[in-house]
Amino acid sequence: MNDVTRRLMTDMDPDLLTFLHSKVTSFVKWDLIRFFHENPHTADTAENIARYAGRNVEMTEAELVELTELGVLVKNQLGSMVVYSLSNDPGIRDLIRRFAEASDDREFRRKAIYHIIRGMR
Amino acid sequence: MDRVTTGIAGLDDMLQGGFVPNTAILVEGAPGTGKTTFGMQFIHHGIAQCDEPGIILTFEQFPRQYYRDAANFGWDFRRWEAEGKLRIMMTSPEVSQAFFQEAGGQIEQLTREVGARRILVDSISHFERLAADPVHLRQLVYSFINGLKREGLTAVLTRENVALLGEAEGQDESVPFIVDTYILLRYVEMDSAIRKALLVLKMRGSYHDKDIRRFTVTSKGIEVHSKFEGQEGILSGSPRRMAESFIEAFVRR
Ligand SMILES: Nc1ncnc2c1ncn2[C@@H]1O[C@H](COP(=O)(O)OP(=O)(O)OP(=O)(O)O)[C@@H](O)[C@H]1O
Ligand SMILES: [Mg+2]
Repeated sequence: MNDVTRRLMTDMDPDLLTFLHSKVTSFVKWDLIRFFHENPHTADTAENIARYAGRNVEMTEAELVELTELGVLVKNQLGSMVVYSLSNDPGIRDLIRRFAEASDDREFRRKAIYHIIRGMR
Repeated sequence: MDRVTTGIAGLDDMLQGGFVPNTAILVEGAPGTGKTTFGMQFIHHGIAQCDEPGIILTFEQFPRQYYRDAANFGWDFRRWEAEGKLRIMMTSPEVSQAFFQEAGGQIEQLTREVGARRILVDSISHFERLAADPVHLRQLVYSFINGLKREGLTAVLTRENVALLGEAEGQDESVPFIVDTYILLRYVEMDSAIRKALLVLKMRGSYHDKDIRRFTVTSKGIEVHSKFEGQEGILSGSPRRMAESFIEAFVRR
């Protein structure tokens, strides 16, 4: 591993770096986090969220479950349905907002992609 | 009598001042007639002029699309969100429906959180994929609307009408019976130009203007103008079928 690259790639807000390493460990999670950031009051089933995100249901559901375990989302039973929504934790909400805002920047996205790909190996 | 004003120029007069509080209003029209604009204006006016917070429940558009569309009319929905006077929520009809069958669902929470008095549901057409059977569909929509009323909301529900000009064939006809007020937006062809017409087909518990009015969408929102004079073909799009459809529309309800 090229050390210069690593140094360059970890040059970001340390909170966001931790957030990336611990929560945004796949591209689907990134999509889902963005979905909930843009739609913070929603609660919906894995099936519907998969449809909005343009991903298949099995993959989306597995990621929703993980995001719930990571404290990003909360899971509720609604009659016979399981619905997911954003955690109300102000700390998490703030990190998500900062992550989404940072993602508008091309450089930041490049770095984030680097970390996700490295994490997936 | 207390009324919920829409802020839509010309319309409140047609409604004796506005909607009856805590009722459900169906706004039906062909694609692009202005249903969403109508609903957004109702919500914006409530927050800006009446100190009545609102909710937008949508099954088709992300909140950011409402922010953008509203901004076109000079309505700052982001600001209302930030000030806690507006909540825009995109979800699915099945989940919305289920929220009202359990206490403490998301819609109820949002309503209480912002003290909402008004809601826009855009659009109720999406309920149609929940039930193929018209009786079942009617029950679903009925219990959904009751849920909204239980929260004390005055609800504008939009619905697509597939017919661009003239009568819709094969659309479920039970929803207009469930709602308290039924407003139709139509394209009409006149003097070889396409115009838009608004008609209040029904308003439970109140007198209402029965004219067919011309309306326009301007940079400030919807404006309802004077009635179309002597244009008998307006409802059906063709003069001959018009008397027929007009009578059907009124007499059947
Ligand atoms: N700023 C504006 N000034 C004038 N007209 C506008 C403006 N913004 C939108 N319109 C017009 O408003 C019309 C209706 O838009 P709207 O989205 O409310 O319709 P709709 O009935 O909800 O459509 P759909 O069936 O696609 O949901 C469009 O035809 C558009 O041309
Ligand atoms: Mg619309």
